[in-house]
Amino acid sequence: MTMPDDSSLDELAAGVIDDADARILAAVANLYSTLDPVPINLIERIQFGVTLDALHAELADLQRSHTLAGVRSDDAGAQTVTFTSSSLTAMVTITETSADSARLDGWITPGGVAVVELRTVSSVLSTEADVDGRFVFAEVARGLVQLTIRTPGSERAVITPSMEI
Amino acid sequence: MIGAQPVPDTLAAQAASLFRAFRAGDESKMGDLVALLTPILWHTARAQRLDSQTAEDVVQTTWLALVRGSESIADPQAVLQWLIVSARREAWRVVKRTDRVEPREFEADDVVSPPRDLPEELVLRRDGDSRLWQHIAQLTARCQELLRVIAFADRPDYAAVAESLGMPVGSIGPTRGRCLAKLRQLLAGDPAWEL
Repeated sequence: MTMPDDSSLDELAAGVIDDADARILAAVANLYSTLDPVPINLIERIQFGVTLDALHAELADLQRSHTLAGVRSDDAGAQTVTFTSSSLTAMVTITETSADSARLDGWITPGGVAVVELRTVSSVLSTEADVDGRFVFAEVARGLVQLTIRTPGSERAVITPSMEI
Repeated sequence: MIGAQPVPDTLAAQAASLFRAFRAGDESKMGDLVALLTPILWHTARAQRLDSQTAEDVVQTTWLALVRGSESIADPQAVLQWLIVSARREAWRVVKRTDRVEPREFEADDVVSPPRDLPEELVLRRDGDSRLWQHIAQLTARCQELLRVIAFADRPDYAAVAESLGMPVGSIGPTRGRCLAKLRQLLAGDPAWEL
């Protein structure tokens, strides 16, 4: 049963890719684009995050607290995101305050005064973390944001990947 | 009389030329490069069984790594390969760290992965899609990954893309290789499919 199948498979495998193969692969691309499309805002989010600032700052690693696949950030009232770099860890809780705004509560460890900047698509907000490392952005327009943290005495700022809040 | 049409640049060649322009100082080209290659990187990350949000983060981290390391990339011509390799590594790093998806080494090529149900969230609108999906589901996980990613590249790039996916030389391009041959064979045996 399987022998002729195998040898014909070998023969087929050794053949040069032709137009019928091209049609199959086009159908495969089409299928995956339908099944699992690139998320609508992903390209925009990356373009927002890939700035030249990212060149010189230290990039923090992003970890989300919820782990359920398929849970979207906008399904929950609040989500916590942790950013880790070699010099600090920042935990940020994002609470939805209205349909188009959110509150960010952050806690940087090790604690200490730091300047925290929040870049949105339209503006840059700035605040200071207190001696315990806590900071708040009480009202932020929802959309793409990126945080930059500067601590005195540290040469390089820490920049986070951009995220949708 | 119309002359022969110029051969369009392949995905890898377009990427290389945008990346060169970016390195030469045209910053806007990075945005174009992101738009051009994010789809193939998305499918590279999702083929590693990451959930959607994790895959998004992996793809972004891969791009940030490119921007930050752009000067150190020895061969701008190979920027597509560099990105695919980086996205796979980042995916595996995240999997190890979070244990968010079940880490599973790929089976050997001759072991057929168990038949999988159609992903719950998807509704295949066309009969052709669901048939094609059923045939793809019979391939090994490794072949599924290869064909999924290759499908977003151009024919002259296949061998290089396969190499960046860690596939042995000859997996695909210029010949079909076993993964594509197997899928073609399955489709050829399906009376409802017109090759």
